[in-house]
Amino acid sequence: MQCLSGSGESARPNPISVDRLVHCQNRDGGWPFIRGASWSEPTAYAILALQMAGETDACRRGVQWLRRIQRPDGSWPPHASIDESTWVTALVAWLTPEIIGEQAHRRAIRWLTDVKGEESSLVFRAREWLLGNPRQPEMEFPGWPWLPGTAAWVSPTAVSILALQKDHARQPDSRLQERIDEGRKFLLLHMCREGGWNHGSVRALGYESRPYPETTGLALASLRGVRSPKIDSAVAVARNFLKDCRSADACNWLRLGLLTHGQLPEGYCPPPELQFRTTVETSLDLLATAAITKRTALFA
Amino acid sequence: MNIERTLTRRALLTAAAPAALLSGCRQPAPVKPASVSIVRAAAYDQRLYDTVRRLLAEQRPEVRGRHVVLKPNLVEFEPSSSINTNPLLVHAVYEGFLALGAARVSIAEGPGHRRNTLDLADAAGYFHIVPKFEDVFVDLNLDEVTRVRPQRQLSRMEKLYLPNTALGADLLVSIPKMKTHHWVVATLSMKNLFGTVPSGIYGWPKNVLHWSGIEECIADLHAAFPRKFAVVDGIVGMEGNGPIQGVPKFAGVLVAGRDLRAVDATCCRIMRIDPLRIHYLQLASESDAQLLESNIHQAGESIESVATKFRLIPEFERAHLETV
Repeated sequence: MQCLSGSGESARPNPISVDRLVHCQNRDGGWPFIRGASWSEPTAYAILALQMAGETDACRRGVQWLRRIQRPDGSWPPHASIDESTWVTALVAWLTPEIIGEQAHRRAIRWLTDVKGEESSLVFRAREWLLGNPRQPEMEFPGWPWLPGTAAWVSPTAVSILALQKDHARQPDSRLQERIDEGRKFLLLHMCREGGWNHGSVRALGYESRPYPETTGLALASLRGVRSPKIDSAVAVARNFLKDCRSADACNWLRLGLLTHGQLPEGYCPPPELQFRTTVETSLDLLATAAITKRTALFA
Repeated sequence: MNIERTLTRRALLTAAAPAALLSGCRQPAPVKPASVSIVRAAAYDQRLYDTVRRLLAEQRPEVRGRHVVLKPNLVEFEPSSSINTNPLLVHAVYEGFLALGAARVSIAEGPGHRRNTLDLADAAGYFHIVPKFEDVFVDLNLDEVTRVRPQRQLSRMEKLYLPNTALGADLLVSIPKMKTHHWVVATLSMKNLFGTVPSGIYGWPKNVLHWSGIEECIADLHAAFPRKFAVVDGIVGMEGNGPIQGVPKFAGVLVAGRDLRAVDATCCRIMRIDPLRIHYLQLASESDAQLLESNIHQAGESIESVATKFRLIPEFERAHLETV
């Protein structure tokens, strides 16, 4: 975290954070969440942050580790010893084809385009129809699951939209646009009644569920350019969360989400007591700060 | 999300009817009685340390020189509610096991909704109460894992990755909150094992458990960890639409024992819920006889002296899951 007193965020990447990321890289080239084995998620975030900071050698070794563990179906597992294709594929797909490799990137985008929450599958819909269960309105549009064969949720849907959106900007494709649009509709249908998002459970047994700051920020970041009263209410919720934010993860995503909609309070500075404990938190702080100070669109 | 509610509710209702019938048909077999201790605890204060020490002395878990892993229940940032296991109790159990000679005691949890586990623990008061909390805490969502095949697969999960910290523990101590649950009626020491399933692989929430059958997964997880113990935080529990949106319910008890099924069955009786109508308890038991009150040796307070009715959601009340 960095801030110049009274003048908002500093324009240079925080050298302490960059140094910390470089030093916690594992020998195999990947990054741990805090310490220990390499995981795909912190590795993807660290590469994005260090690429921005010009740390090419660390990035190169990170990319090599990621390439080694890509699965035959084009997806990524959470870490090397897990034989499951998961949502982290979307995070790796945030890396451009120039970084991760043209073919690896294309296969990842194809996998992402094909994956949907199980509730959108033909088998599930047919079963529900046979059981006489009414179609739930929030199941109308497909989102993305954490792993195939399960339901779609807010976070994997938002990160998948960001990946497809980035690829679509590079190479427009109607299939990508269709999935992005469906995903955005999914998110709007899964918004909490008071505005904002939690993990994706809008209500339980008639009780309204409350939004979380980190998922509200993430979902807002994936809804760039969407105009709706719902977005306005989500922005209001996000700004309220930001006032009293004690979590680095939440602060990172709230900054990015609000920035996406031009609603980050002018001169906002993260509270000094925030603790950036994980590789993901440190990386996202660097990326958010760069996006704010340099006006670089992280996901465009 | 509604998808999980729809599936689970249906699973519950379809399972409940035959289960209720079967509970009358299954012949009680002779079983070795499990020992469960019930002690009164009026509040979360310094007296808990002595109370827990007495509780553990009564149960005498063999932990000298061993690694004990405490698994509390951390769910949401709600400091004023009764969602999470109280940190003072967890610290009292931590101190209690060290006093019994444990070589090492760790605290470990893998919350199912919130990604930032340490922020959640901080908000729940763990950093404040447990000295050097970060040094003794393991985030089970991001721990190293081992692939496990359920011994007696009841759910649809043929394989499951579980965290090495929990699998390698000499004693895994489940420390749940005593709460009602809107899908499985009551969430206690067995359901608390859901927190051992790593979200770093399965996501937030651990939706794969819902698709594989919640109650069957509870039973599979119970079988996956052979060396277990439970201390249930029933000082202030939760009733109504638990495990998150219910309301605090004072019960003023701690319940402990080595057999999680017997501990949970006892908690159900304290909550005025019939344990023989709890499907996951039946699935995890070789026979209903294991759950009978007569086959559980109760130490300390009697169930009757501490029992207090926990209000259930209306459809469970209508299904007469409660005892009179």
